[in-house]
Amino acid sequence: MWWKTLIFVAMSAVIVLSFVTPAPQQQIGDASRIFYYHIPLAWICVIAFTVSMVYSIRYLRSRRIAEDDKAADSARLGLTFCVLAMLTGSIFAKVTWGAFWNWDPRETSVFILLLIYGAYFALRGAVEAEEKRAALAAVFAIFSFLTVPFLIFVVPRVMPSLHPSESIVNRQLNFTMGVTVRWIFAASIVCFTLVFLWIFSLARRISVIRRIQMEQEL
Amino acid sequence: MDGNYVTLIVTLAVWVGLFIFLVRLDKKVKKLEKKLK
Repeated sequence: MWWKTLIFVAMSAVIVLSFVTPAPQQQIGDASRIFYYHIPLAWICVIAFTVSMVYSIRYLRSRRIAEDDKAADSARLGLTFCVLAMLTGSIFAKVTWGAFWNWDPRETSVFILLLIYGAYFALRGAVEAEEKRAALAAVFAIFSFLTVPFLIFVVPRVMPSLHPSESIVNRQLNFTMGVTVRWIFAASIVCFTLVFLWIFSLARRISVIRRIQMEQEL
Repeated sequence: MDGNYVTLIVTLAVWVGLFIFLVRLDKKVKKLEKKLK
């Protein structure tokens, strides 16, 4: 229980500090405070898709259905965090650029990513045979993940974008944030990662329970 | 009241709500796991 209390206190502190300290980017103003939430959400999205890909590979190697369950749970969380990142991003877009959606390269590439992972769940829903579904989904998840670095890190950097591209580090890989902002941001990343791990562990345990109950019913 | 403080309170409320939900879910899952053992 101690680690849950720690997460609670740390995340609460991050929330309070993100609003009472000066805005991270003075030229943008208060809207830039969303940076403490938007980037960690996008970060978790990448982590979750990576975890999904790892469990998909493990499934193909071991053919254990539990690995496929974990891959699906992680992809589900990745999709949820991706939607949250998109929502927070569109709030920022409305305040700074005047519209919720601008078809900016980063917005478009995240939208494509959402469609790809949406197709992953469509595929899972379309195949009834469990082993066939798991194998197809695993292959799809691995190929889907190959697009993640390209869509999240490459496309927005090679195309002209409205997005602030040097909000964390500049092209010389030096931090562009002040010390206070850096610490709050780092704490936010850690807290969001811990919350993700907690939710993922819960989802995994629920999948195990569901599978045991299904086996008992048969 | 400053808009920043309103947003701070709303964000904290969402976080507290999510935390309580997760703790309760954790307890339910533990109960089910015990039952299945």
